[in-house]
Amino acid sequence: MSTAVEAAPLLVRLHDVGKDYPQVARASDRLRAMARLLRNAPHRDPITVLDGVSLEIHAGESLGVIGENGAGKSTLLKILSGVLAPTRGSVEVRASIGALLELGAGFNPELSGRDNIEMAGTLMGFSARELAARMDEIVEFADIGRWIDEPVKHYSSGMVVRLGFALVAARRPQLLITDEVLAVGDEAFQRKCIRWIEDYLAGGGTLMLVSHSMFHVQKLCRRALWLDHGRQRGYGEVYDVTQQYLAFQERRIAAQEESATTSLSGQEFEVRELALNGAAQQTAISIEAGSALELRIDVRSRDGRVPALALGIVRADGTAVYGVTSAMDSALPKRLDDDTWRFLVRFDALPLLPGGYLARAHAMDPEELRLFDTMERGFAVRGSTRELGMVRLSHEWLIDA
Amino acid sequence: MTLRVSTHDVALLRHFTVRALRQRFEGTLTGLGWAVAQPLVMLGVYSLMFVTVLQARLPQGVDLAFVPFLAVGLWPWTAFAESLVQGTTSIQDNASLLSKVALPRAVLVLSRVAAAFAVHGIGFLLILVALAAFGQPLRWEGLILALGIFALLGIAAAGLALALAAMQVFVRDLALVTGQLLTAWFFLTPIFYAREMLPARLQPLLDANPMTAFIEALRWSLFGVGTPTIGWIALLWFPLATLAIGSFVFRRLSRHFEDFL
Repeated sequence: MSTAVEAAPLLVRLHDVGKDYPQVARASDRLRAMARLLRNAPHRDPITVLDGVSLEIHAGESLGVIGENGAGKSTLLKILSGVLAPTRGSVEVRASIGALLELGAGFNPELSGRDNIEMAGTLMGFSARELAARMDEIVEFADIGRWIDEPVKHYSSGMVVRLGFALVAARRPQLLITDEVLAVGDEAFQRKCIRWIEDYLAGGGTLMLVSHSMFHVQKLCRRALWLDHGRQRGYGEVYDVTQQYLAFQERRIAAQEESATTSLSGQEFEVRELALNGAAQQTAISIEAGSALELRIDVRSRDGRVPALALGIVRADGTAVYGVTSAMDSALPKRLDDDTWRFLVRFDALPLLPGGYLARAHAMDPEELRLFDTMERGFAVRGSTRELGMVRLSHEWLIDA
Repeated sequence: MTLRVSTHDVALLRHFTVRALRQRFEGTLTGLGWAVAQPLVMLGVYSLMFVTVLQARLPQGVDLAFVPFLAVGLWPWTAFAESLVQGTTSIQDNASLLSKVALPRAVLVLSRVAAAFAVHGIGFLLILVALAAFGQPLRWEGLILALGIFALLGIAAAGLALALAAMQVFVRDLALVTGQLLTAWFFLTPIFYAREMLPARLQPLLDANPMTAFIEALRWSLFGVGTPTIGWIALLWFPLATLAIGSFVFRRLSRHFEDFL
């Protein structure tokens, strides 16, 4: 962390924050829970949804929150926005917070758009005078025409979101909380929102972004927090944390795939081993972007014929990156013993961009007509490049003299 | 949270009170006109019912007509009872708002109490003006005192409503019980009757009910009937005690509303 970042004002500090939910199945449990709370006693048999989360957000230092569904991300956002009180730990908020989470959630359907701006604006901390001054600006940003004077219950969901966004935009909070990238409203409005967020960030605004897209997190955030089952698994520089997360996901996927594609012995051709850079274990390895990747595949052939091999690299989400077979390159394996052959493949300077990938090996008959067996290994490519996509294509910029 | 009050909190309280008032008269043709007419119509109905039909009369020594006697007790009671009924469900009714917007929760309870006292406070003043117009002598200098008593009643209602609203989140039967208990409490309070109409040995028991003090003190300040008793100390302890208990219960429980709503 640079000293400049240290000097930036602190917006939010969470220390060892945790959240428990009580288990209240019956009405009598609720009465008992109330009695305990009045005595300041903790819940009995609580369900812990968040535990031991500590973080700091400084001005201009956006934070990405990553993790699988149910990891406690929403709970964390609710605690930050003040909707939910933590069971443990301390929450210090020194900034105005605007949430682009459930836009229009606080609207009263019976009231007109204009009245709702007044109401929601008051809830957000606008004074009556500020609201009067900003009203035209908000109405213009929402851009819903004459609907502004109709009751909100007659609005389309897109219009509600427009109104909600216009309010947050007018507030210009010091910390903006949002999840994913706004996939609401028509495209023109989405562009307007994204332009506004870019503007906001350029003007020194700070973002807390919850997203499944490592690309967005890496692009918009400086630091990241990785939550796993309510616990803090990683926190720090965005590239470190996202890569830890991707590697973890790879391992998990690999383990699942492993159990799903357990080699059926007795097949004519069987993949015995797939090793990446010499590592044959099931855990995913990680390599630096642009370094070498060597694959070693041992295939057993039941009837002694020489097997062929198909090799593929796919991204963690299944998108194919590259595939090749031994026959295309007229490559032959080395015979290890009576029925086992070994293929060695080397990618010099692997051009994959940072992210999670899978290497797949399929055993084939010599005629390359049938696939017999498949084995997968996950690997993560590390690096801090900001290039987009999956593969670096070699290129040069031509400067016209 | 309930003790530190910012200007924003005050703005919110005003906002929600206006909202509660607006909801009350929303969709009615006469709107605010009804708010003015309703107390006067009720006064006419009581007058017809109790004086003309039932020929209700107050005992010797209470030098007052029945209608002003009743009216001065009934409006403050209505403000009090309505505050509790509306206040009890105020948190539960706003569950969806609370799960999405961070706001000081007490505002939701207090705004309903404020709205009830505003409506019935204005009704109370209208009644007094109407009574005076029909020739009922009033101690106008006692009006300031009466308004002070009315305000103390409002504080007591706020304290009780805070406790009830917080507990209602956990125990949903409370709203039903509150309504029943208020009916019983109404008849245990000398609103329709005077202390002097009870058997002599039961009369001191009325002092155990803090509401007795409020009703009797209002009559005393406005019409000069009755005499102050030691029981009137309830004018002080009742608002203080309910506010202390209410804000304690609310502070302890409000952190956990979200888990139980």
